[in-house]
Amino acid sequence: MKPFARINLPGVLSLLALLLVWEISARSSKVIHLYFPAISEVVRSLVDLIQSRELVGHLLASLGRFFIGYLLSAGIAVTLGILLGYFRRAYTFSEVLIEFLRPMPSVAMIPVAILLLGIGNSMIVAVTVYACTWPILINTIDGVKNIEPTLIDTGRTFGLGRWKILKRIVLPAAFPYIVTGLRVSLAIALILVTTSEMVVGGNGLGFFILDEERSLKTTNMYAGIVLVAILGYGLNRLFLLVESKAMAWHRGATARG
Amino acid sequence: MVKWNKDSKLNGLMVLLAAIGLWEIVSRLGLINALFFPPMTKILSTFFQLVFSGEILHQVLMSLKRAAAGYFLAAIVFIPLGLAMGIFQWLHRALEIIVETLRPIPPPVVVPVAMLFFGLGDEMKIFVIFFSCAWPILLNTIDGVRNVDRVLVYTARTFGLSQGRLIAKVILPAAAPQIMTGLRISLGITLILVVISEMVGSSDGIGYFILDSQRRFKVTQMYAGMLMLAVLGYALNQIFFLFHKKALAWHEGLTKSRR
Repeated sequence: MKPFARINLPGVLSLLALLLVWEISARSSKVIHLYFPAISEVVRSLVDLIQSRELVGHLLASLGRFFIGYLLSAGIAVTLGILLGYFRRAYTFSEVLIEFLRPMPSVAMIPVAILLLGIGNSMIVAVTVYACTWPILINTIDGVKNIEPTLIDTGRTFGLGRWKILKRIVLPAAFPYIVTGLRVSLAIALILVTTSEMVVGGNGLGFFILDEERSLKTTNMYAGIVLVAILGYGLNRLFLLVESKAMAWHRGATARG
Repeated sequence: MVKWNKDSKLNGLMVLLAAIGLWEIVSRLGLINALFFPPMTKILSTFFQLVFSGEILHQVLMSLKRAAAGYFLAAIVFIPLGLAMGIFQWLHRALEIIVETLRPIPPPVVVPVAMLFFGLGDEMKIFVIFFSCAWPILLNTIDGVRNVDRVLVYTARTFGLSQGRLIAKVILPAAAPQIMTGLRISLGITLILVVISEMVGSSDGIGYFILDSQRRFKVTQMYAGMLMLAVLGYALNQIFFLFHKKALAWHEGLTKSRR
């Protein structure tokens, strides 16, 4: 029994009970079945859709947009955040502009992006970059601003150049903040990708789910949602994995000073 | 002449005004396509026209109604549930896996499900907001309760407080700051989701207004709608901030008097 001691038995049981109630009520009532097709059917249609490659194309489209948008925004926001955090004057100049743009929900940029870029991949990537930039940028600025001035002064005393101070002191010290920003943006990227796909159509998981709902293929719709949930969960796990690796580096870097 | 202070906050404001001025000039000179970037003055005049004619206010009110319903419903349901899950370990263990199964679903994907159940009406948007606000409120409340100082709870028990009074007088106040954090995060999510659900399935509301203006190529009107949304987002944040200060003043007073 020992290896199973960590499994949350009541939790698993209540989930199974919920799924069982779902399955039975879907099989016994036509009305319920229309809204909640039996969970076994959902799983089967998910498998079918993956085997027939129909869903694979949508998945790859969404994943591609997600990664390009997310990584681009990470690159842009971290660089910009370090500059704005490091050069205090640059921050005082841009602060109001940032605070002016930030309160508007990023999804409102979708129509503008459609107008400027049409309804292709670049539009979806652009809104994803826009939305993901804010949390990373704000956190990076905070991280750099909160660095102990003595750290930087010590670096200067030892004759380190600006670039070395940035690389050896500023970046490692701001790292935990940057990671926080990146984690927040992970969920945001997924939101923006699926939303844009719903609004502009074509392909992608967001489009697939909405389209199946409109053609009343409820089972397929749920299959798509299950896949998106797995995707969200998987991306989160991947993030935690990369984070723990990077944190190990971070600990090494900060311990060495 | 006044000396230019290079570290003054006014500089930021100047940069913003300069950016707006630059937009105005390049748009008027035709250096950028004025069809896509109409001059700022035009956007502002359209904005005020729409505000005074009451058209945009109507859209905003529709959105606000949905946002408020979903947000408060989520707070009413998930703060008590979070309290219960934080206090009773067995309940937490029983529901934990269900919560962790539902949580990775990106909220926009719930829109089609809600459309299936509720059609295109208000209920659809309210449900979507309710669902997406659930997790930050629930998880922060649970965390808040779990982080309550054990000594506080034991002391209260020693003084013979009943379970009900213990929750009302000790646990709830001590968990309040973190519950507030959940509510603040949810406020941002609410605004995003009301716009998304109105873009995907609606015939009114500020999200629909912006997307519809774009589709009809009323570009100036689209920007005016976005400006309205930014004002709305800013105002809601400020209102929450005031409320937060009041709530925490009460909290601070209580913790101080206990010391």
